[in-house]
Amino acid sequence: MGKLLKRTHLYNFHKSNGQLTEFAGFEHALFYEGIAEEHLAVRNSVGVFDVTHMGRTIVEGEDSITLLEKLLPRKVSNMSNLQGRYAFFLNENGGIIDDLTLFRLEEKKFLLVYNAGNREKDFNWIKDNASNYNVKVYDVSDEVVMLAVQGPNAIKTLQKLSDKDLSKIKRYWCDWVRLGEFDVLASRTGYTGEDGFELYLWNTPLQMSKRAERFLSLILDAGREYNIKPCGLGARDTLRLEAGMCLYGHDLDESISPIEAGFETLIDFDKPDFIGKSALLEQREKGVSRKRVCVKLLERGVLREGCELYDGNGVIGKLTSGTFSPLLNIGIGMGYVLKEFSEVGTKLNVKIRERLVKAEVVNPPFYDTNIYGHKRIK
Amino acid sequence: MSQYIFPNHLKYTKEHEWVDLSQEVAVIGITEYAVKSLHDIVYVSLPEIGSNIKQFQVVATVESIKSVSEIYSPLSGTIVDVNKTLETNPEKINVSPYKEGWLFKIKPSNLDSEVKNLMSAEEYRRYIESLKK
Repeated sequence: MGKLLKRTHLYNFHKSNGQLTEFAGFEHALFYEGIAEEHLAVRNSVGVFDVTHMGRTIVEGEDSITLLEKLLPRKVSNMSNLQGRYAFFLNENGGIIDDLTLFRLEEKKFLLVYNAGNREKDFNWIKDNASNYNVKVYDVSDEVVMLAVQGPNAIKTLQKLSDKDLSKIKRYWCDWVRLGEFDVLASRTGYTGEDGFELYLWNTPLQMSKRAERFLSLILDAGREYNIKPCGLGARDTLRLEAGMCLYGHDLDESISPIEAGFETLIDFDKPDFIGKSALLEQREKGVSRKRVCVKLLERGVLREGCELYDGNGVIGKLTSGTFSPLLNIGIGMGYVLKEFSEVGTKLNVKIRERLVKAEVVNPPFYDTNIYGHKRIK
Repeated sequence: MSQYIFPNHLKYTKEHEWVDLSQEVAVIGITEYAVKSLHDIVYVSLPEIGSNIKQFQVVATVESIKSVSEIYSPLSGTIVDVNKTLETNPEKINVSPYKEGWLFKIKPSNLDSEVKNLMSAEEYRRYIESLKK
């Protein structure tokens, strides 16, 4: 008997319009028109992704801040209502259990959004740690439809549907907005490097697929004048990698610390305590031996996860992600190398099926931030 | 299946290569079915001219954004030419798999006995349909 794959509310849309693939236990669209076309739509105009497969949990109650301060290396108590933050769950060794986005919805109510593949692991981790606290922890993953509208024209697309001035929502903040007939939470976040929003449509259990389809059509109709494209997991991966963003299970895992991954600035060592603190303090003290780097090929080719990295003498690291950038037409990737090879500008070789190809360590994102990405000069 | 074109004058393999035997040397490429399933071909690595290969040996790779596919030689023989244009313009395979997107040319060493291991256009079309279930 085959594996039972989960499906989002929008499975029928994916099946009729896209090529299906398996990802994190879900049967989801790899692409509709094509990875490159969808990738470029997001960089140049706007695209919409079904990201309902991601995990979403609410932590609410008297001790919610105390619990989250223990679970996360970033400070929580100084967040304003409707502010969001990128953070990690860490184990006692400082290894990354998952990366997530945290939103303070109300004084004592938080939304945590994390990777689809870690739905159970993360929920159980929060729940297990919450046992001695006065909090309610509940998984809303299957009751919320989540769409990401991304690209320089994302805001214009959504503004057509709302009376609220969406430009007032700052990057990494969120707000409740009415889009057409739907009340949604809109956060100015994403996984593409572009400006855009992630939209959370509450009260939509899995059997309410029609409501989810209406919500998606509303956005597709609004974006028609900008040639909006539905985008699949393929473009989601090339876009995030081009932006230099990590994918859990590849670039991050429980054996990798946020210091090695280059997120030292997202650790608040002033906090009295959080899970993993002592291990990270020790790492900061002694230094780490490997660092995450972004690498671009200097010759034509495609980088792939698992490719070994070499200096003149031997192996110095390995790629944890790799692809071909549809925007820049070069092979791009990220991975971990011995610290002494992690400086931007370091030349190294990548082994691609027995062939050594020249590459260079670069600063992410891979694209020119004056022309692409949310910091582009308009 | 009607959306695919499989020219009648070509021979086909189960690995979705085509071979044109109407010229002095055999010309080899990948079928429109292979191109459509790979999607977004972005990189091609070609064999060395002069190398001797056996039938159904891996001789080249074609990469899309998401995957790497190995190309098997439909015939034994010597590589006499490769489509250098593909090294800089791999997308030629996407738009013209049977003409500008050819991969390499081979001087067959054992054509008469090996050709019976290849399929006609009609046989290949039936094979593709069987893959669809």
